[in-house]
Parts: sequence; structure tokens; C-alpha cells
Amino acid sequence: MPTSTVVMYKSLRSFLNRFISLSDDEFSLLKNRIELRKYPKKHILIKEGETEQELYYLCSGLIHHYFYNGKEQVTTDLVLEGTLTGSVASFLSGRPSHYYLETMEPTVVFCISKQNLQELYRSDKKWQRFGRILITHFLLQQERHILDNIRYSIRERLVHFAEEFPELLKRVPQRRLASYLVMKPETYTRLKPLIAKRKKPPTEKKKKKA
Amino acid sequence: MSAAKAHISKAYLEYLSQYFHRFMSLTTEEVKELLTYCEFRQFEKKEIIVEQGQTDDYLNMVLEGLVMKSVKVKKSEVILQLATEGHVISAEISFLTRTPSPVILQTLEPTTLISISYTRMQEALENYAPGEMLGRMIMEGMYIKKDERKYTWQAKNMRQRFLDYMQNHPHMLQRVPQKYLASYLNIKPETFSRLKHLTKKKN
Repeated sequence: MPTSTVVMYKSLRSFLNRFISLSDDEFSLLKNRIELRKYPKKHILIKEGETEQELYYLCSGLIHHYFYNGKEQVTTDLVLEGTLTGSVASFLSGRPSHYYLETMEPTVVFCISKQNLQELYRSDKKWQRFGRILITHFLLQQERHILDNIRYSIRERLVHFAEEFPELLKRVPQRRLASYLVMKPETYTRLKPLIAKRKKPPTEKKKKKA
Repeated sequence: MSAAKAHISKAYLEYLSQYFHRFMSLTTEEVKELLTYCEFRQFEKKEIIVEQGQTDDYLNMVLEGLVMKSVKVKKSEVILQLATEGHVISAEISFLTRTPSPVILQTLEPTTLISISYTRMQEALENYAPGEMLGRMIMEGMYIKKDERKYTWQAKNMRQRFLDYMQNHPHMLQRVPQKYLASYLNIKPETFSRLKHLTKKKN
């Protein structure tokens, strides 16, 4: 196995460890059910109207979630390496996805199909538990995002975002960041000094939560 | 609040099974066992179930009545959810992370909930055979609904939001004060009144 693959498995395992502790055997079981894929930049993983069949763990890269409002792309999520993603509601409900998922950089993922996940669930209660904890995590993240957009002003949203995801500020074009934060590009440009002025905390890199 | 006892009638058991059936099918015995972990809770109209800052101890399903979830923003109140019969409702961040609630839960009608406390839920996940799967299905259902709502807010214009909602929830106009419905759909109260004519013309 090439070293890079070892590193990727390590990354996946440490992500999973946040939810559940797996023995080497259990992790091997999972390894047999996932697939490593490499995508170039601007690869579309799913289009609006298609049904999501897979979930992706990002070993490296960046995935853009969006839908079209007329001709304009509306960004609903920006997902960095070290996280699990997919068009989750479509994956769970079996209904058509509202969103497009597209890589913004060359991206390497481990993917798991619905069928393989179901088989893991069937194999042991432990995987059921993992599934429940994982979806709970997604649910909390979604609820926080909804609440934050309601509770906080545009300024506050921008400052919080910059503190939490400094990586995204470097890697994502401004118009997309503005769209994700539900503000006009002009507003983003106007408010940008707010985040530039702030002192960055010493090398504490926070990764985007799953 | 009394724990649900096993002496409930068979008809009522079957009635309750239907509520759980939307998540997974359970046998009558499994429903009976599940009920030993649950409580029935009753509330008057306009009663606060969870206050902002209070830690929510329960995950609930509405058996009868209507529960509103809202969040205070400066001086106003934004409506996040209107849960009717069969819907799951909780101050989920507070309930799941055991922290003070950022949201308020209150009834708009006399309400009966079937509820499970955080502690009993942990016990059910440990000891009740279908527990993990039921728990996952409930969380999945909540996620799907929330995503749908988030998408609707962002992708649909006011008129579409109004028309879709009225079509899918025709009775809510009678059950919920207009100002709450307007807030839920993110429409100004004045605009909401104007849009109401659209439904009248259609019928």
C-alpha cells in the first residue's frame, strides 16, 4: 500500500474516532466497503434532480454544494478535507437532490454506497450506533447553521465564519463565500476589513466539522 | 407526569403504533416495551414547554395539539417549526448536547405529547432492541425535514412559499395565528394578508 493511502486511512479513522471507537478488525470491515476515488477540479458528483447514492469522506480537496436560482449559483455548503459529506437529505430520503455537489479543487474521497452502509448497519448494532451518532452530528450542524443565520447580523456571521474556517477564506472565491453567508458580494467586499483587521489566533487551525 | 403504563387498551396501542410506523415498523410487543421508556405529557393552550436558557430534557412526538418552536431575535420572535400530530419536536441542540436552549417551545392548542427523557433515551438505546435503529430513523426524519425547510427558505420566493405551504397544510390557517404563520414563512404580516387572497381565488 502506498504511503499516501496509509495516511488517508489514518485520516478517516481519526475522523470516525470522534464518533465511535473501532477495533482494527472493525475498521478492516469498513475498509472492504469503501472505495477510494480521485476527482479533478470542477467534477460534478451529483446534479439537482438526481438521487444521492453515496456519502463521501474527503481525504483532500474541497466540495461546493449549491443550487441554481435562475442563472445564479446559491452556495449552501463548502466542505473541506477531513469531513464527511454528500447530498445527505437525498441520500437518506431516496428523493431527488435539491443540490449540485462539485469539486472546487482536485479532490480525493473515500465513498460508501447506500447498500454498503445498510449492510454495515445490518451486521452489528455498533454500526447502527455509529449511524445514529453521525446523523445526530449532521442534524446539530444543520440546526446551528439555521439558527446562526437568523440570530446573527451579517457582520457577526462574517466574523464567526472567518474565525471558524480561516482555510475557506483562502481557498474559496469571494462571491461564493458571500453567497454562503447570505450576503451580497458588495457587502462582503465592504465588510472584508472586519476580518482582515482581526488578529489571527496562534496557529490554531480549526477544521470544518462534518 | 406518569410513565406510560402497560394497561393501555389494545386499540390505543394500535393507534400509537401508527405514529411510530412512519419511522419503522414495530410489533405490538415492541411498542408496549417502548412505552415503558416514554411519558405522556399534557399541556394547556399557550403553555411554555421549554424556555430559552432552560435545558430541554425531552424528545417529543405530538399526539394531539400544536407546538411552536421559536427563537428571539432582538425584540422579535422568529418561528422555526409548527409541529402538529405525528411530528417530532424538541429543542434539539439543547436536548442532544445538554446545554441551555437557544429556542422556545410553546403550545398553541391544548397538547398531548409522547416524550422520552434524555436519561430514558440512553437506557432505551442500550437495552431496547430496536432502539438504535428507531433513534437513527427519527434523527434522519428530522434532518430531512430541516433540509427541506432550509431549501424552501432560500430557493423559493415569497409567493411560492405561501402557496406551497397553504396547499400542503390547508388547516393551518385555522389553527395558527397569522402573525406566526407569516414569521414561519418569512413573510411580512401585511404581505401575508395580501397573499391570502390568492388562496380564496383558487378555491
